[in-house]
Amino acid sequence: MDFAGAFSPDNLSFLMEGFYVTLKVALVSIVLSFIIGGAVGTLRFAKIPVISHVLAVLVESIRNLPLLLIILFTYLALPEMGINLSITVSAIVALTIFESAMLAEIVRGGLISIDKGQMEAARTSGLTYIQAMRFIILPQALRRMVPNIVSQFISLLKDTSLAVVIALPELLHNARIIQAHHPNEVIPIFILISIMYFVVNYGLSILSKRLELKTA
Amino acid sequence: MISFENVNKYYGDFHVLKDINLTIQTGEVVVIIGPSGSGKSTLLRCINKLETITDGTLMINDIKLNDKKTDINKVRRNIGMVFQHFNLYPHKTVLENITLAPINVLGVSKEEAKKTAEYYLDKVGIPDKASSYPSQLSGGQQQRVAIARGLAMKPEIMLFDEPTSALDPEMVGEVLDVMKALAKEGMTMVVVTHEMGFAKEVGDRIVFIDQGKILEEATPAEFFAEPKEERAKVFLSRILNH
Repeated sequence: MDFAGAFSPDNLSFLMEGFYVTLKVALVSIVLSFIIGGAVGTLRFAKIPVISHVLAVLVESIRNLPLLLIILFTYLALPEMGINLSITVSAIVALTIFESAMLAEIVRGGLISIDKGQMEAARTSGLTYIQAMRFIILPQALRRMVPNIVSQFISLLKDTSLAVVIALPELLHNARIIQAHHPNEVIPIFILISIMYFVVNYGLSILSKRLELKTA
Repeated sequence: MISFENVNKYYGDFHVLKDINLTIQTGEVVVIIGPSGSGKSTLLRCINKLETITDGTLMINDIKLNDKKTDINKVRRNIGMVFQHFNLYPHKTVLENITLAPINVLGVSKEEAKKTAEYYLDKVGIPDKASSYPSQLSGGQQQRVAIARGLAMKPEIMLFDEPTSALDPEMVGEVLDVMKALAKEGMTMVVVTHEMGFAKEVGDRIVFIDQGKILEEATPAEFFAEPKEERAKVFLSRILNH
């Protein structure tokens, strides 16, 4: 075990580069999947003929596939169909597709959990369906969804490491490269990247608890 | 004026409302009573299209409710509704509960909506609760806020769906008092309730419904003294003698 060697400036800066890629890919995917998942979940809840059914089939299909398969598909199979994406974009697309499906279900579940009387009260006062969703249903549902949404974001951040299979230069990938060159540094390196993942994700869960308290 | 003409409603094969003919005049207080599952709430909920009718004609003033061209949001502005479980918005203050629809549906300014809200809160006897959240109020207070919320739209018609059924017995009186005052002012009211005292005192007309059918329509004096229908007699004896 070589702690001093493992934490050399070169190694650290290489790991930080990886961590930056991890955070960048995660953040972009989080924003995109929040928008897409939110829209899809709301549309499924709204029970619009045809659209809601098509979305249901899509969401269920994606949710029941391994994320690793989706990542490999976007990187290896899409080029066969004439769609060539860079490694980073492939990872973002795959993560966004998968997490959007997961978030759509969280959003739909949150919307369903709001008592029907809320929609009835809003609609009988003359509000349109969209106004009722905007002022009454979504704000209440979002508060209930916060813990589940944040835990999904934490999963997403961890799942970026799966993109190691398409050689995305993220944190785990860079750690593997150091390990390949210096097998005796593997333990300190893995401890260090564990801490890095933990700090960010634990920070997110603390944020989630804060948000819950605020909105309770 | 509300008029049902040969109205039927089905839930699948279940015939919930059977050939309903009923006219409610402006300013009238009509109390709908009947056993549970008789269709009385469904009948009430048809008036603002929370339930759609299967056939027949349902008119509110001169507007045909079961017409695709009818803008239901416009009709609903004019019909307030009070629910058994209050259905206040828990994430909004009492004031926001009351001003939401006037501001967003009628386009009233915030200041004016606030004034109106305060006026009606005063009227229902809780002027000091404007900045509270519904969860901080008792059931009776919540239901009075719900009434104020309905009134703030200045509707011509108010619907009450068992407004006291979810309340502690102690709090029934304060809600009924508000409703009585409203009736005296000439509001058109359709009330589904099990409060026979209220029906007797305030109702202009009693509509007795069982198994989706209107069995009897009479003034409270006639109905409570001597119901014509056997089913009504049995119903009354069961709820009055306990």
